[in-house]
Amino acid sequence: MLISVHGMKKDEEHGGSNPYQCSDKTSVLQEARVFNETPVNVKRSTHVLTKILYLLNQGETLGTKEATDVFFAMTKLFQSNDIILRRLVYLGIKELCSVAEDTIIVTSSLTKDMTGREDQYRASAIRALCRITDASMLQAVERYMKQAMVDRTSGVSSAALVSCRHIAQHSPDVVKRWVAEVQEAVHSDNVMVQYHGLGMLYQIRKSDKLAVTKMVSKLISSGMRSPYAICLLIRIVAKLIAEEESSAGERSHLMEFLESMLRHKSEMVVYEAANAVVALSAATTTTTTTTTSRDLVTAISVLQLFLSSPKPTLRFAAVRTLGKVAMTQPAAVTACNLDLENLLQDVNRSIATLAITTLLKTGSEGSIDRLMRSIAAFLNDISDEFKIVVVEALRSLALQYPRKQALLMGQLADMLRNEGGLAYKEAIASTIITIIEDNPDAKEKGLDHLCEFIEDCEHTTLAVRILHLLGKEGPRTSRPARYIRFIYNRVILENAAVRAAAVSVLARFGAQCPDLLPNILVLLQRCMLDTEDEVRDRSTYYHAVLSTRDPAIIARCILNPPMYSLSSLERALLSYLSSDTTKAFDASCVPAAPPPAASASLSSAASSITAAISGPEDVTSAVPALQQEKRSVSMHDKYAERLAAIPAFAGLGPLFKSSAPVELTESETEYVVRCVKHTFLGHIILQFDCTNTLNDQLLEDVSVVVEEDGSNWQILQTLPCASLPYSCPGTCYVLLAIPEDIMSTTGTFTACLKFQVRDCDPITGEPETEDGYGDDYTLEDIEISVSDHVSAAQRSNFAAAWEELGPGSELEDTFALTSLSSLAEAVTQVTNFLGMQPCDRSEKVPDGKNSHTLYLAGTYRGGQSVLVRAKLALSDGVAMQLTVRSTDPAVSEVIASAVG
Amino acid sequence: MGLFDKLAFSLGLKKREANILVVGLDNAGKSTVLNHFKPEDQRTSDVVPTVGYNVEKFKTKSVGLTAFDMSGQARYRNLWEAYYQDCQGIIFVVDSSERLRLVVAKEELDIMLEHPLIKPRRLPILFLANKMDLRDAISSVKVSAALGLDRLTDKPWHITACNAVTGDGLHEGIDWLSQMIKDAVDKNAQKL
Repeated sequence: MLISVHGMKKDEEHGGSNPYQCSDKTSVLQEARVFNETPVNVKRSTHVLTKILYLLNQGETLGTKEATDVFFAMTKLFQSNDIILRRLVYLGIKELCSVAEDTIIVTSSLTKDMTGREDQYRASAIRALCRITDASMLQAVERYMKQAMVDRTSGVSSAALVSCRHIAQHSPDVVKRWVAEVQEAVHSDNVMVQYHGLGMLYQIRKSDKLAVTKMVSKLISSGMRSPYAICLLIRIVAKLIAEEESSAGERSHLMEFLESMLRHKSEMVVYEAANAVVALSAATTTTTTTTTSRDLVTAISVLQLFLSSPKPTLRFAAVRTLGKVAMTQPAAVTACNLDLENLLQDVNRSIATLAITTLLKTGSEGSIDRLMRSIAAFLNDISDEFKIVVVEALRSLALQYPRKQALLMGQLADMLRNEGGLAYKEAIASTIITIIEDNPDAKEKGLDHLCEFIEDCEHTTLAVRILHLLGKEGPRTSRPARYIRFIYNRVILENAAVRAAAVSVLARFGAQCPDLLPNILVLLQRCMLDTEDEVRDRSTYYHAVLSTRDPAIIARCILNPPMYSLSSLERALLSYLSSDTTKAFDASCVPAAPPPAASASLSSAASSITAAISGPEDVTSAVPALQQEKRSVSMHDKYAERLAAIPAFAGLGPLFKSSAPVELTESETEYVVRCVKHTFLGHIILQFDCTNTLNDQLLEDVSVVVEEDGSNWQILQTLPCASLPYSCPGTCYVLLAIPEDIMSTTGTFTACLKFQVRDCDPITGEPETEDGYGDDYTLEDIEISVSDHVSAAQRSNFAAAWEELGPGSELEDTFALTSLSSLAEAVTQVTNFLGMQPCDRSEKVPDGKNSHTLYLAGTYRGGQSVLVRAKLALSDGVAMQLTVRSTDPAVSEVIASAVG
Repeated sequence: MGLFDKLAFSLGLKKREANILVVGLDNAGKSTVLNHFKPEDQRTSDVVPTVGYNVEKFKTKSVGLTAFDMSGQARYRNLWEAYYQDCQGIIFVVDSSERLRLVVAKEELDIMLEHPLIKPRRLPILFLANKMDLRDAISSVKVSAALGLDRLTDKPWHITACNAVTGDGLHEGIDWLSQMIKDAVDKNAQKL
């Protein structure tokens, strides 16, 4: 042994800092031949085996053949009794056993070592053995494992218990037989053995609630020595209490135990108990009061003591737990505020950060100023991740105390100016944007800060995002002119992507502020000399549009550009190219991009922002959440492709809209049917996804028969599903022609599932009878409503679009929605009913207001755009004045009549 | 081999070392045979079926032997060949009381003898017709006939009846084997 250590030392000196640095796989595997020498060359084998282990841990992988060769060569090293070499062999076995074949070969050698006299070998041999043993081999080693678990040497016993847990993963039944030995280990004197024993015992009993309860109450009364085991017991107890299946008496008994553990002499146990009490109180505040407030107070006062502990780990743990409590019960933590403030000066920055975020949650409005100052003091020393945590805390603080927003805004602006990575800057920017959206008074101040920031911002995505925001909000401020300078500076100074975005924003200012228009035209003219194609194209386009001075054209091309779903547009263009191209391309049949669902979640989902600003194209302004759009578009495309593949539906034209699936049965019935409505220009396809949940039936010739109450609708075709075996979904279709009369395009259909049943064997699924018998099954009614004819569309500037449509086709009506009690409810109801997209963030109803105006935009089946303005007022129910404008008066009428 | 080693050998100061392979069907008594060669205090009282293989070391009069005790169970027999390469002798243990499985033993023996790592080498093979004390045991001559040993002409071999539990007959066999190995090693040494 000494010789080999010495030898390795020499190698190290020879080869510099890392003797294994440049060994490569093939040569090392060649060297592994040394294992086969007789007698074993201990020194060289040790070195080569170390090299192999080094390579494996560097991420090198061996093929099955290579690994098996090395493994078998390695098995020959069992001849040697060198301790170091033997232990390396154990490591080698553990590394290679997942790749090599026939690893079972070493079983006997390992069992010999684990029952042998050399204690040095025994624990390692057990660990290696459990890695190579599979379920079928367990019996051979079972006896040895049982002996080892109750061994006098604590290391051996621990190793056996932990190995047991690994074995339990693939063959729990065998391990269950060892429960007597495990139980003996639980009563061991050694702290580690007791801990591992309890872990194993719990693993065995886990699935049996009663057994766990019994075990716990026995252990509570007997008391354990090992603090590790007590910590584990506390976790088990906490889980029992949280599951709420035990009786109240038992629960109070368990709570008593937790409470008593708060006074244990080991800090670890005390912390674990406090953590458990706190977590329980957070989880059960609403339902049952298992944890009394007294318990919580005790737990928190224990944590408070830890806050002033000299050990940084304890301080960290305590402040982290308090931070968690502060999320749900800030009042409970207020008592610790003083100690927390002391921690702000802590040398460990992680502790300080957690302390400050906790304080921000618990702090009263008055203490914010002071906190701000201390944040500014230490913010420079912490890493970006922690800074983001602080920013998040500031954001929630800002939403909580609107009156402090000016102060916070200043703080954020300071932080924005300091050094930091993209993620950090983005977090700040989106916090500022949240504040702007939340509080109109803070808007101009916030925009100023952001303008200042983009003057010196190296992140393209962030600059583009802020420019876009300026384009949206800037023109509506009191003095839009002041932003022009910032924007034009971007055109002069920045890279192409930012320049292009700036040009688009300039155009928006020009479109909305007539007094700035001449100046903007001049600026755009200058932009036309840009070196980048995209920038030149945009400025030329916008210049041309703006010079017309025609409000209608400007509104259509700049304020509300058409927003097609890009993938659908591509498909439509492809099919246009393959058909007769003499006619002009009809864009109206291309579905609009599904409006981003993120407008509400924008404030919360800062993460989606990264995806949002994907490039300088103007379309990106319509897609703040690219990923969400991708998902829904792919759904639309999937339906479109599936329907296009059916010959009977080939001539229907492009798919306009697909509804969300509607359940026509209860989920637990014999047959589950869902309906999806696909709207085309003149037809509707009802797609029925059926599933047969009876395993002794085979359904054949399955179709859905629909009937309408009136006689407006014509059923053109029914496509049955040939066979519907157990649990394999099948699909059948019904094709309907939409009535000519636009006023009768809604209706209710009764539906009935008709099919031939053949009984079959539940196991094989083979039908037992030759012929089936007919049967039917009544489904719930299908409703075709206005929303099936309308698809939501995005309007980035509702007012301009409203003016553009003009009052020509306007219809107005007043309704009383007596069943509704709040404005927010009314907004969701109306939006869902019409299937249109809320614009200008009008779906958010400010708190405490009695009236609200909702703006909705959509596209009707034929491509006519529809806008709805709904003025809502709260008065004994909700009163609504609905104004509809559309390119087609008939459409206006349909929409207006739909609500009534 | 270094000069010093050669010198030590020729003076008989240092023993020769060799690896031998112990094979045979399951329950033939391989581990029991080896158990007998261990020093008195290290013997185990109960021998369990070997899983994989075991390494044992023991000394005879002329050479030190490292024996690879292979598992004889059917699913592990294909692992024998992993140890063919560096063995200097083979012990093939047969349960002479189990006539039915003698054909299986013969088959395993033939497979081994046909193996490219065994076939060209003049490896000494010791056959132990174990369990000779049992009533229905057949004689070593019959065993050798059943294994077809008369056709085995290219390798030195020897068969002896034995009882591994008591150790009867074992020493005779192992003395033959160690003598053969010693001769082979010495011949090699002279060649060098």
